[in-house]
Amino acid sequence: MPEGGRTTRVPLVERVLEANDQIAADNRAELERRGIFSVDLIGAPGSGKTALLEATLRALKGHRRPAVLVGDLATRRDGDRLARWCDQVVQISTGQGCHLEANQVRDALGQIDLDAVDLLFIENVGNLICPVGFDLGQAAKVGLFSLTEGDDKAAKHPYLVEAADLLLLNKIDLLPHLSFDRPSFEADVRLLNRRVAILDVSATTGQGLDAWIAWLDR
Amino acid sequence: MDGPSRPGARPAQRATMLGVHEFSIAEALAAQVQRHAPASGRVAEVEISVGALRGLEPEALRMSWEAVTHDTPIAGAILRVDLRPWSITCSTCGRTWTSPVPFVACDCGDPAPVPTAGDELDLVALTIDEEEA
Repeated sequence: MPEGGRTTRVPLVERVLEANDQIAADNRAELERRGIFSVDLIGAPGSGKTALLEATLRALKGHRRPAVLVGDLATRRDGDRLARWCDQVVQISTGQGCHLEANQVRDALGQIDLDAVDLLFIENVGNLICPVGFDLGQAAKVGLFSLTEGDDKAAKHPYLVEAADLLLLNKIDLLPHLSFDRPSFEADVRLLNRRVAILDVSATTGQGLDAWIAWLDR
Repeated sequence: MDGPSRPGARPAQRATMLGVHEFSIAEALAAQVQRHAPASGRVAEVEISVGALRGLEPEALRMSWEAVTHDTPIAGAILRVDLRPWSITCSTCGRTWTSPVPFVACDCGDPAPVPTAGDELDLVALTIDEEEA
């Protein structure tokens, strides 16, 4: 305490990410008002987020009117891949940022003709930790794990498992070739989240995509 | 910066410890604290409460905090992190306890009690050293 001064403890209860959460709430209200179902897709680098979206956009052709926002640290490669299957793709370069934030989504939505959209995919930056804590205003969080990451990844990333509205387990076609313990993976998920559905998919072979599309359509 | 107080930490190690995850949280917190900081007086301490689900490392958070507040009006403010633990409930014997990690066995032999935790990330209090008018 400085001499002659006094020390005061000021109690507050305020969320640290309040500013982000407020913009996210605005995004959510806007998307809901327009009847656009939105998915924040979160997964590790190399888990197949872009491949899954390519296969999904192909399957949705003529059936839904999707748009994609894709976050990446440095390149436009994911955006270019997805633009082959969808007219409305916005690449968000995050620079140093390891996750998307609500203001980036708000700005990217401004570059989309939302009147022509009924389904929005937000491909987050490849990362299983940071993106989970930043609300973007999405209707649903979808966690994407893949067999090549190992069967302990759900247990090592409890926040994503707990927060997810759906989990996808990609590269399921590789199951015979890997030591991935599918029951152990699911047991870990169940301890953290009793309700979340787990869909086995393969973006490469198309296995399980019907169930994923049905989930998006429900 | 604070090199002398951490003689063992070389630049490469420091860069690793300044995980980008904690860094962006520290940036948001610094902006928030500066909004609350009084015109007269100095912010001496900042208290935050963090749920275990967030997966935040208090030490990385504190180092990020020092980096983002350096050369700002709140430089020198001490960050106190109250890391809320996991709550573990055993469905076999009914025992409930807290743990820093989610996957632990119960003393009764149940290998997989149920872990639950919060995801709060709250600014709880500021301590202000007020100067005499």
